[in-house]
Amino acid sequence: MPVTQLSNAHYASLLEAKQSNLPGQDLDWLNRLRLQATKEFADGGFPSLRDEEWRYTNISPIEKKQFTLSDKAGDVDASFLKGILLDDCHHLVFVDGFYQAGLSSLDALPEGLVVSAISTGLAENEELIRSLFDSVVETPALGFINLNTALFTDGAVISIKEGVQVEKPIQLAFISSKDGALTVSNSRNLILAKSGSKASVIETYHGAEDTCYLTNVITEVVVEPNARLAHSRLQAESLQAYHVGGVYTRLDSNAIFKQYNYTFGATLSRCEVHAELGTASDCDLDGLFISQDQQHMDNHTRVNHAQPHAVSNEFYKGILNDKSKGVFQGRIVVAEDAQKTDAKMSNRNLLLSDRSEIDSKPQLEIYADDVKCAHGVTVGQLDDAAIFYLRSRGASEQMAKDMLTFAFANEMVERIKINPLKIKVLEELLKRLPQEGMKVEWL
Amino acid sequence: MLKIEDLHVSVEGKEILRGINLEIGAGEVHAIMGPNGSGKSTLSYILAGREGYDITKGRVLFNGKDLLEMSVEERAWAGVFLAFQYPVEVPGVSNIYFLKAALNGIRKYEGLSELDAMDFIATVKGKMKELDMDEKFLYRAVNEGFSGGEKKRNEILQMSVLEPSLCVLDETDSGLDIDALQIVAEGVNRLRDPKRSFVLITHYQRLLDYIKPDFVHVLAHGKVVKSGGPELALELEEQGYAWVDEKKAS
Ligand SMILES: Nc1ncnc2c1ncn2[C@@H]1O[C@H](COP(=O)(O)OP(=O)(O)O)[C@@H](O)[C@H]1O
Ligand SMILES: [Mg+2]
Repeated sequence: MPVTQLSNAHYASLLEAKQSNLPGQDLDWLNRLRLQATKEFADGGFPSLRDEEWRYTNISPIEKKQFTLSDKAGDVDASFLKGILLDDCHHLVFVDGFYQAGLSSLDALPEGLVVSAISTGLAENEELIRSLFDSVVETPALGFINLNTALFTDGAVISIKEGVQVEKPIQLAFISSKDGALTVSNSRNLILAKSGSKASVIETYHGAEDTCYLTNVITEVVVEPNARLAHSRLQAESLQAYHVGGVYTRLDSNAIFKQYNYTFGATLSRCEVHAELGTASDCDLDGLFISQDQQHMDNHTRVNHAQPHAVSNEFYKGILNDKSKGVFQGRIVVAEDAQKTDAKMSNRNLLLSDRSEIDSKPQLEIYADDVKCAHGVTVGQLDDAAIFYLRSRGASEQMAKDMLTFAFANEMVERIKINPLKIKVLEELLKRLPQEGMKVEWL
Repeated sequence: MLKIEDLHVSVEGKEILRGINLEIGAGEVHAIMGPNGSGKSTLSYILAGREGYDITKGRVLFNGKDLLEMSVEERAWAGVFLAFQYPVEVPGVSNIYFLKAALNGIRKYEGLSELDAMDFIATVKGKMKELDMDEKFLYRAVNEGFSGGEKKRNEILQMSVLEPSLCVLDETDSGLDIDALQIVAEGVNRLRDPKRSFVLITHYQRLLDYIKPDFVHVLAHGKVVKSGGPELALELEEQGYAWVDEKKAS
């Protein structure tokens, strides 16, 4: 038997084994979904390079690792946690896939806001969860989605009431502990921004240093008419880890969705950001990824202009160093009815080493005739004239290169409106582009 | 301070500098004039250490050290400064950060500690005032979207913050109106010092009305064809550069 099938069999066996700590075992509708996902996974397994959507990302290391399931959260250092939680936010903390009430801070939640872990809020919010679950994620589901549905242990459920504006961002912090080594955590987040509401949600991913694990997460988002949701994602996993995740969003008419996607960690990562746009909705997808050593970072976006008059604006930047590899696949589909669509997509990449590599593939499928669509991809190196200029003023060669690389990245950081998140992203950036005496306020 | 001996430079097999000899003492101001394409900018880039040139012959000594052996930044640390004819735009890097990185690079080389942030900003703002530059330029990306004149002023600002010992100004006067020219010239004159030398590369004599050179050299076809005192600049102003070509022809 080929290795792939063997390993798929390993994951299939995880699904077969009865998991006593999965939430909602008494709910028929959920059990049915889990069962169906289990069956589909057993048939289809993980995606392979033969799948068009996966041809640049080989996930066989994940199959070979044969990650198991952890049955409880491991310990997390107080100082480690402190470095992860953002100031001035509400926090939900998940460790190894399990909600940790003791580490979270949900006091002082404003009126009109449901924020809960699925595990603890299932009884109270069953209808909400049921209405959102599997409502946006793509079907038929591929391997990782099935794995998630079948095995998710926890996640956040958020609902913002009509017209409510939530002041503080809500941070969902996903942490993998040392005890979570060689396990997979499957988390599922469900977010509903009701009509006219306004809120900001941040997902962050961190793990114990030098620990190998798999994060497999799905976030489903519904933004109702005239609501506005900002959604940020900071992936700063351990450099040995694997991360597969996705944000699947449906925008109703006149909804606004701003997605900011920052990728720094994991040895191999894949992130899907999908948005289905209703009439006259407005969707921004911003992304920045920085890869080093042998990291492999795959960003997949899909913007589906299903209705007329929607605007989408996508801008992803990549910085690739050493022997790392990046993938950007941006697909825009404009349906026949989606007249007056205005869709822009741009992907700019900086190759810092001649051994680094980027596969960038914009795909436009336009079935309407009265639309504005633009896309562009650039792959370049640092500007020699600028390096010379900086050095001629006394910056060392490395410093000059780091300054210019930093500047390239900083354009995306500047877009972050939430200051504590901005500082956190800058910290991750500076870890990779150290600049002596650099202070955030100099920028 | 600077000694250029029989310097020959080619680009892609084409010889651009064809045996330059020049000696510049501490505190002196030398003007280098010459028609377009005579090799003035090439000479300035060679001094600053830009890549892409073949130095086929000759040497350059800076305070007794082999300048051509030094990296670009080592030259800056040692006190060489080139005000570019075409200053480079550096998107995303603010002027203030750029200045600070540059100055700290130099201070580190000199074994000095980093400057205090507040002192530094105060110093820079003072110098900007002297150059009639708006403080908002501090927080704008280096040279990005600056007008020609603003870029030139920014070069002089950097020079006055970094306080180099050898200042090479490549056509800093071109593109400046008379008021700006005066401000820039005053900026340069403020920096004049018995320990600091200047090389003023210019096409026109008018800059020399404001900054008095001690020596004037005429560069043509990659060679210094004539050297003299300030009066030579006036001569050139009257006669133009036509005689240079005649000289070559004869
Ligand atoms: N990188 C280069 N490649 C090819 N030719 C060059 C290059 N740089 C300069 N030159 C040529 O060398 C000559 C001198 O140029 P330059 O030093 O810029 O003159 P100046 O500054 O006196 O106008 C010109 O003929 C120019 O075309
Ligand atoms: Mg020139």
